[in-house]
Amino acid sequence: MPLIVKDYSWTQTEALVYINVPLKGVTVGKVDIFSTDEYLKVNFPPFLFEVILYAPIDDNKSVAKIGNGVVIFTLYKKEESIWENLALMNVDKETLQEKREHAVLKAQEKAVADAEAKAIKKREDEKYALETMMKLEDEERKRIEEKKEWERRRATEELELWKEKQRKEEEEKKAQQRREIQKLENEKKKKNETKTHSKSVPECPRKRTMTKTGKSEEISLPAPRSAGNIKIQFTPRVFPTALRESRVAEEEAWLKKQADARRAVNVDVSELKDLKEEERNPDWLKEKGKKLFATQNYLAAVNAYNLAIQLNHKLPILYLNRAACHLKLRNLHKAIEDSSKALDLLTPPVADNADARAKAHIRRGTAFCELELYAEGLQDYQAALKIDPLNETIHADAEKIREIIQGTVPDS
Amino acid sequence: MSTPLEKPQIISHIQKGLNYTVFDSKWIPCSAKFVCMGNFARGTGVIQIYEVQQGEVQLIKEIEKAKPFKCGTFGATSLQKRHLATGDFGGNLNIWNLEAPEIPVYSVKAHTEIVNTIDGVGGLGIGDGAPEIVTGSRDGTVKVWDPRQKDTPVANMEPIEGETKRDCWTVAFGNACNDQDRCVCAGYDNGDIKLFDLRNMSVRWETNIKNGVCCVEFDRKDINMNKLVATSLEGKFHVFDMRTQHPTKGFASVSEKAHKSTVWQARHLPQNRDIFMTAGGAGSLHLWKYEYPAQRSKKDADGIEMGVAGSASLLQNVTLSTQPIASLDWSPDKQGLCVCSAFDQTVRVLIVTKLNRV
Repeated sequence: MPLIVKDYSWTQTEALVYINVPLKGVTVGKVDIFSTDEYLKVNFPPFLFEVILYAPIDDNKSVAKIGNGVVIFTLYKKEESIWENLALMNVDKETLQEKREHAVLKAQEKAVADAEAKAIKKREDEKYALETMMKLEDEERKRIEEKKEWERRRATEELELWKEKQRKEEEEKKAQQRREIQKLENEKKKKNETKTHSKSVPECPRKRTMTKTGKSEEISLPAPRSAGNIKIQFTPRVFPTALRESRVAEEEAWLKKQADARRAVNVDVSELKDLKEEERNPDWLKEKGKKLFATQNYLAAVNAYNLAIQLNHKLPILYLNRAACHLKLRNLHKAIEDSSKALDLLTPPVADNADARAKAHIRRGTAFCELELYAEGLQDYQAALKIDPLNETIHADAEKIREIIQGTVPDS
Repeated sequence: MSTPLEKPQIISHIQKGLNYTVFDSKWIPCSAKFVCMGNFARGTGVIQIYEVQQGEVQLIKEIEKAKPFKCGTFGATSLQKRHLATGDFGGNLNIWNLEAPEIPVYSVKAHTEIVNTIDGVGGLGIGDGAPEIVTGSRDGTVKVWDPRQKDTPVANMEPIEGETKRDCWTVAFGNACNDQDRCVCAGYDNGDIKLFDLRNMSVRWETNIKNGVCCVEFDRKDINMNKLVATSLEGKFHVFDMRTQHPTKGFASVSEKAHKSTVWQARHLPQNRDIFMTAGGAGSLHLWKYEYPAQRSKKDADGIEMGVAGSASLLQNVTLSTQPIASLDWSPDKQGLCVCSAFDQTVRVLIVTKLNRV
């Protein structure tokens, strides 16, 4: 229970109230003052001084001075009058409590209002700073623009002046030519009058006219060159595309792969002794496989490709074609395997094998869709589209798959 | 040492949006007009003539022809006639009188495939010798034509029988210092640069710069070969010093990386042969100055003369567009004025300032 301080003293004038509260030896640091327009509290443990003021004061203007063992309040009255008492008398506990709470609330509101005002002011300041910055930058920009404009105008003027000069020169030249022609015409007329015969004469003055007017068209240009032919050789390049340094490494890698694949692989002679000479050639077997595929003899085509792959397991085209056969035979898993193997062999991706890669993706995509693995199928079709974006059938098929996927999703 | 305000500035003076793909733009000599050549969306070729008036360009004339135009030059006509020689997508070489464009003054089916590039020499009062036009095509051949000789080229640089052909992307005349001497430099898509001597009808020099060659240009056509700029894919260009040829090492060169994309064009300033501008695939223009080394040639280990390349320093750069700037042409009459066209279907007239103080 805090000790209530009762030995305070106070004086007043018309506009001010002075209250003197002794601190009774408590240090300045422990003094806490709480004040509103109607309520004043000084809390310095273990002492407490509170008073509900007789009339409202202006809280913002009033000051409190702490020091020398006392707190001196200088309160400005809101209304100038002489108070009978400092505190409101005849207050029961409840009213007191009410007033206290009211005071606290008011103080809180004031605190909030203060904080808000501070925030607003801060924002205003920032805005102002920003605006001045923007203005400075704008000015800078305008200055540069003006310089450019000035240069442009100057150049335009010079251009126009030069054009004028050109025009005038043209006109002068034309006028001069006309004058010269006139002069020579007159001379010619005179000459014709004296020499009525001999047709050749009029020719000469005309020729002279030509040279005199300065239309020196043919100041003896050399004859056209005698035809020549130079045979040239180019630095060899396999790819039809232009040479780019950044692509050289990839192209080299692809070419090396192709070269390796074309070299005949060691064949286990004992097993395949009964094969004819031509059947040992993977290329011939590939052609045979194609023909069998065309006549719809898919099993036989697969056999042909199997043998070709046994002889040379590095040619991607064999896997690609065998995948097509498996698709037709509905051996979907085998088709997927073969397409994947073909794609593996078709790295690095260069423009040369774009076609083959697109086909591999399409075949694998079809196989996936037949197995109802539509998501994977769509992935493959999209990869094919990336390689060959202009192909209508791929677009159409990809659309169909998307629809099927969207159709099945709500069901599951 | 130059402050930012002392560097040459590249200012876009006029911009004109066109309704066709424009491949080439050239100034008409002795005038404030330029021509644009290109390709309408309907597949026909178009030549438009514009005049710079006040702050704008006015369309003076539009000529439409059957085949789209790829390139053109005024290099081989006289200053009075000012005929335009064009190469088109069908492989034809035509020379047009722009006052009467219904029928070409000269026409020949120059190549079996599109004419990629064209250059002319001997006209416009520059240099001596016969007027000649050289064309390079996708069919791998480079042919030199004389407008006075119909149907057959005066020189044909073609691959040997059975050789796979490479596209010729660019040609340029040079070394036309007297009546007899002429050189043609050709760049191909496999990185080959070949220098043909027309006097001896032989290949004088060849090299490979490891990237497809987009543009070659001598700094001057009418003097003893001095410098050659070759631009290529992958953002590189090379400047060759053409005064000293070593029997095995060829010409000395310095190369720079710029633009971070294909360098489509390089054009030397007609008034100063050491300044040139390169145009890039990202719509940027770089202005360069070539500085000669202290000694242009030195003796190598065996005592044979070889050239020493100098250095190219960047004076200014600007980005005008997002699409490649495919053609660039300096005005021969007004220093610093140039016209460029880009694949965003615009043609721009630019002013480059302070070039006299470089």
